Amino acid sequence: MRKLLLWTGVLAGLIALPHALSFSQQEILVFLVINVLLVASYRLLTLTGEWSLAHVVIMGVGAYASALLSKTLGVYVPLAILLGGVTAALVAVLLSFPLFRMKGFYFLIGSFAAGEIIRLLWKRFRDPFGGAKGIKGIEPMPDFSIGIYDFDFFEPISYYYLAGAVVAVCLWILWRIERSPVGLTFHAVHWQDKLAEASGVNLRAYRTLAFAIASGFAGLSGGLLAHYVGTINPNSFDVEVMVFVLTWAIVGGTSTFYGPILGCVVLTILNEIVLRELGFEQMRPFIYGAIMILSILFLPNGLESLIQKLTRRAPAKASKEKVAE
Amino acid sequence: MNKLLQIEDLTMRFGGLMAVEALSFVVEHGEIHGLIGPNGAGKTTTFNMISGFYKPTSGKVLLRGEDISGLKTHEVARRGVVRTFQHSTLFAELTVLENALVGTHMPFRPNIFAAIIGWDKEDRIGAEARAREALEFFGLEHLAQERAGDLSHGHQRALGMAVAYASHPDVILLDEPFTGMNPEETRRMMGLMRALRDSGITLLLVEHDMQAIMGLCDTITCMSFGKFLAEGSPTEIRNHPAVIEAYLGGARHVA
Amino acid sequence: MLDLLAQTGLNAVYAASYISLIAVGLVLIFGVMGVINFAHGELFMVGAYTVVALYADRHLPFLVAVAAGLVFVGLLGLVMERALFRPLRDNPLGGLVASIGFLMILQAVAVLGFGVRMVHVPPVTQEVIVFSDRIRLPVARLYVIVAAVVLLSGLWFFLKRTRFGWALRASAQDPEAAALQGISINQTARIAMFIGAALAGVAGALTAPLVSINPHMGHSVIVTAFIVIIVGGVGSLEGAVIASVVYAFVHTFVTTLYDGVIADIVGLSLMLLVLIIKPTGLFGSADRA
Repeated sequence: MRKLLLWTGVLAGLIALPHALSFSQQEILVFLVINVLLVASYRLLTLTGEWSLAHVVIMGVGAYASALLSKTLGVYVPLAILLGGVTAALVAVLLSFPLFRMKGFYFLIGSFAAGEIIRLLWKRFRDPFGGAKGIKGIEPMPDFSIGIYDFDFFEPISYYYLAGAVVAVCLWILWRIERSPVGLTFHAVHWQDKLAEASGVNLRAYRTLAFAIASGFAGLSGGLLAHYVGTINPNSFDVEVMVFVLTWAIVGGTSTFYGPILGCVVLTILNEIVLRELGFEQMRPFIYGAIMILSILFLPNGLESLIQKLTRRAPAKASKEKVAE
Repeated sequence: MNKLLQIEDLTMRFGGLMAVEALSFVVEHGEIHGLIGPNGAGKTTTFNMISGFYKPTSGKVLLRGEDISGLKTHEVARRGVVRTFQHSTLFAELTVLENALVGTHMPFRPNIFAAIIGWDKEDRIGAEARAREALEFFGLEHLAQERAGDLSHGHQRALGMAVAYASHPDVILLDEPFTGMNPEETRRMMGLMRALRDSGITLLLVEHDMQAIMGLCDTITCMSFGKFLAEGSPTEIRNHPAVIEAYLGGARHVA
Repeated sequence: MLDLLAQTGLNAVYAASYISLIAVGLVLIFGVMGVINFAHGELFMVGAYTVVALYADRHLPFLVAVAAGLVFVGLLGLVMERALFRPLRDNPLGGLVASIGFLMILQAVAVLGFGVRMVHVPPVTQEVIVFSDRIRLPVARLYVIVAAVVLLSGLWFFLKRTRFGWALRASAQDPEAAALQGISINQTARIAMFIGAALAGVAGALTAPLVSINPHMGHSVIVTAFIVIIVGGVGSLEGAVIASVVYAFVHTFVTTLYDGVIADIVGLSLMLLVLIIKPTGLFGSADRA
């Protein structure tokens, strides 16, 4: 009952939120919602213990696929976004064949190489990817009305509500997966792959599954992005963006579901709202870099460890709830 | 037709080193079978070939007549042959119950779509029941919510076996199960193994210390320098001149 | 056709010389400290800007500017070792993230100091050695080649013939055994970090008059260096040099025949192929996998 009340409160707050913000802040809010999905999907991949540097490029695969499907084949935009996610998942399955022959550091570097190759292919082949200039004039989301509210997708508020709803559903799915026997198996693959294997777990299949699901949701977030900004190019998905995702995950912490999301929200607010308002435009990367260093030095378990300290309950009770899920 | 596991001419070569050479023996259904030998005899290599960690250079491992040699570990496990590990190989960060739940992976194979929608309630209840049953069997019920990494050494070993037991195996392969245990823990572990056998599970255990398993095994196979040396009941093995020689380097006396 | 081959070969030798300076430094740091220095490209960038500040703006002699770049970037390396990599010694992923943070700081400082626009440094010399009508080697490039050969030979001598070099190699092979031998991990880490950073800085300083300089130039540098150290084997200094030469030739020839983007794709594919087939690298031993 208290839980229901809490969630209703959060929902009401999220619905009211954009009305308290300026236009440019509303735009940032849309990006924030999309990035939350990106970083939450990244966490699913890290559950199996692998850190990829190709995640943002995979997001780009979703964005390019969705943009091209709607632009050249005239696919209905919401369907195109969905298919963008499917394409990203399929590309991940293909990439898994070379990449999952590697582990740890080699996987990190290998995924980086694979991602850069994809990006260079976009750059090189003007048809259909538009070369270095990318794709412009991507179909916007078609407007529609649900009776009480008219969605006009040139307004960031409308896009925020739509993307927010989509992302909420995706987060719920990711949460369900993590708390399911499948999620337990991901943990098992991460912490003791030999024992998991001896219990009948097909390691390769589960690693690929995590990679494909994470990539599918990243692709979905890419589709959401593409139809919002209307133009994408290879540099929209370069390693700098990947660095941001990595930072969100590490500053937030990756041992809980909410850690990376927390990192993304806090750092985005800090970066886009606080620093921008203070007028530190050119100093922002400097401060951002300093925050990264300070948090890795002094808060190695992430922001989530602060939250855990604040809300510490008896561990036995907490884990009982986990099992009852 | 009691031959559950047949090892036929199993050979493993690492580069120029012959680790195991043309080893053959049979594990009967429902027995506790020991594989012993001095250090470097090739026991662990044999163990790893049977459980699918190594692919043998030549030879076969037959399970109920089916060749399982060269299969991957999880494929071997899915055919009912499950191994445990030396030391305390566990999911230290997970709870005891969650460890056992990983063990139920095979009988209650997770389905991701059912899990998202919530149509796997029955499977989850079944898996938890099985996991608790396994914990109860090994006397770990009361520790279900503890972190596995916090358990005592003896409990960790028992949990390792509970994880294997939870998967409803036909054969459990045990890799030096008594290493590092005090006499009391060893005695309790032996009781558990007999109980496992009486519940219909066949055990194959690899052990360096011959005395530890004398009173436990129904049949013992002894190997030395990668080759078959002798086989028989514990009494026969204890008095077998070749075994005595291999262990004591010629001294005519085994305590 | 033969002319083209010879000219492209000369270009490749030039590319190989500065790439190997960068890659050898990265390998040295990774070998001794076990951390991937993502900011290595930015150290190259700082070296280039040192030349901009001292040679182009303050008109000091070029060699003085290069020497200053070497020392300054080497000192930056010491700062990184003490402030970032030493506290994060047990946390390789943390070291990686910290170096990314440092990279952003260096870029921001470069933007603040010099602006985001490209900068060009006046040439040191306009002379060109003319072999034939179509085969030419600008003397400025020859300087880079000679400097690289001298520096790498010096490093080789230092590693193989001095006590410090012996300590460095020992702790790259097995840090714990080295510590038992009385080798101070902190000291070898300092030396490795100084040399590794200084090599990147001097590479940036030497090539400054030959490239266009901007605060974000480090990105393509680090990508190239990654390819080279993977192909050469992450633990192997000799492998890094050989792989630099191989990569430079492949990249230069593919660029000449097709274009730069295809050459980048080929380079990355080469790296991926090595990772799949022989992750320890074509010339690497499994020192530190």
